Amino acid sequence: MGDATQNDSKVVVRGLGKVFERKGDGLVVLDQVDLTIAAGEFVCLLGPSGCGKSTLLNIIGGFEKPTVGSVTIDGAPVVGPDPRRVFVFQEYGVFPWASVWDNIAIGLRHLPRAERDARIHRYVELIGLEGFEKTYSSELSGGMRQRVAVARALAVSPDVILMDEPLGALDSLTRFQMRTEILRLWQKERMTILFVTHDVDESVQLADRVVVMSPRPGRIAAVVPIDMPHPRELGSPAYAALKTKLYELLSVTHAV
Amino acid sequence: MKYSLWPFITVAVATVIIYGSRRFREVAQRLILPLAALAIFVSAWQFGCDLKKYELRSPDGTIRLLEVFPTPWQTVVELGRMVTDGTLLRYTVASMYRVAIGFGLAVLIGIPVGLTMGWGARTFRALNPLVQGLRPISPIAWIPIAILWFGVEDASAIFLIFLASLFPIVTGSFTAVHTIPSVYVRSARNFGLRRFELLRYVIFPASLPQIITALRLALGIAWMVIVAAEMIAVQSGLGYVITDARNGNNYARVCGAMVCLGALGVFLDYAIRQLQRLDEVRWGFSKV
Repeated sequence: MGDATQNDSKVVVRGLGKVFERKGDGLVVLDQVDLTIAAGEFVCLLGPSGCGKSTLLNIIGGFEKPTVGSVTIDGAPVVGPDPRRVFVFQEYGVFPWASVWDNIAIGLRHLPRAERDARIHRYVELIGLEGFEKTYSSELSGGMRQRVAVARALAVSPDVILMDEPLGALDSLTRFQMRTEILRLWQKERMTILFVTHDVDESVQLADRVVVMSPRPGRIAAVVPIDMPHPRELGSPAYAALKTKLYELLSVTHAV
Repeated sequence: MKYSLWPFITVAVATVIIYGSRRFREVAQRLILPLAALAIFVSAWQFGCDLKKYELRSPDGTIRLLEVFPTPWQTVVELGRMVTDGTLLRYTVASMYRVAIGFGLAVLIGIPVGLTMGWGARTFRALNPLVQGLRPISPIAWIPIAILWFGVEDASAIFLIFLASLFPIVTGSFTAVHTIPSVYVRSARNFGLRRFELLRYVIFPASLPQIITALRLALGIAWMVIVAAEMIAVQSGLGYVITDARNGNNYARVCGAMVCLGALGVFLDYAIRQLQRLDEVRWGFSKV
């Protein structure tokens, strides 16, 4: 299934299944999911809403327990949330009662002051929010807030960043800018990114591999490698062909 | 009926100003409209006084008509007397002092208890039935118990104020914790925050706007209860003025004390509302 070679695999999902108990019967959300993600890889989970892609991400993040199967990161099973793999939520999760500075500081509170301040400075600069350090995040625009969420995640130097439709709540122009921004940060820091989206264009622009999921029960329908160097030419025939292919895969999985 | 004329003049002037000039509309609406409403209220009061009078026959046979109810003007005169003889200041201080101590104690105990109940499922299970059972008991029902415990002393009134404020604060605090969006708690856990850190950096700041709303509610209730407490449990304060004046058949003073209670209540609410302007909680009160 286009798995990365065994020795540099970062996240390994094996035989994963998730059943939500409802009155009497169970709702199978994920069924027989196998996925291996290499260190430094950018993988998009693409699928219609209700296909279990967010549930998969939540299990990898340690927020939910699988019914069957296992998730290991660097060979160790995931038992709970951990600062080494940071989740970026669609609703940001940036604290409105704290300033940009304090939001980024939240994961760095055990560092010596000088080191912490240097790190915060670096990431404020990285997301281009210099001058907004003292601004409360409730006063920021959606795009700025999402950048703070990303900076806050990057600041703890995680191995893995799990993004659950992080651009879903933004307007299309800001979304577009944020994609470039995320790519720039990823190329700089080279962490592993798992990015949940239902936007075909987004997945083709960002990912090394697109994992297409089918709904009810959530299964991996196809894995499509995007073998194009960044920055990708969004108007090129190859790009358009990949989009068409993904749309076809999605509509096929819909029809099943 | 001469008192009853000027409110209508005010309303007429208000109407002219409001509809006559666009430039003054903003000022007019902010000043003249509430003044007009107040004027109508006062004139209705005056009208009510004129409606019910009793005949006082002097021994020489002359009959004078006297109001049963104190008129607005008599109330103002009596208020002036209360200011000059010092009772107003002394008793306002007495009432404020009791509310400050009782409410303060309720804040100190109620917020930690509420937060603990909100965060700890077991604490909530254990304490919630008790809290919900005690909450509907009017603080006034506690007056006999308070007097039994503390005597006719400040402590009685303070205890009643404490009880009156405690339950809204506790309930408001745990509800605030219960309604924290889970995304904040998840983020915090993701960054390794546990126990005290979680409380300090997330639970408390996330609940603060709702806690402040609960404090505002509690202070309003406390200010209402102080009157009842002072009517029975102590010998000073604005509530005591009301019982004392009634016993002395000085109804103008009763109304004067009521006006003071209203004015001070507005002031207290204004004061506590200033908490909403703190940088840390502004996010909870305005959707910008």
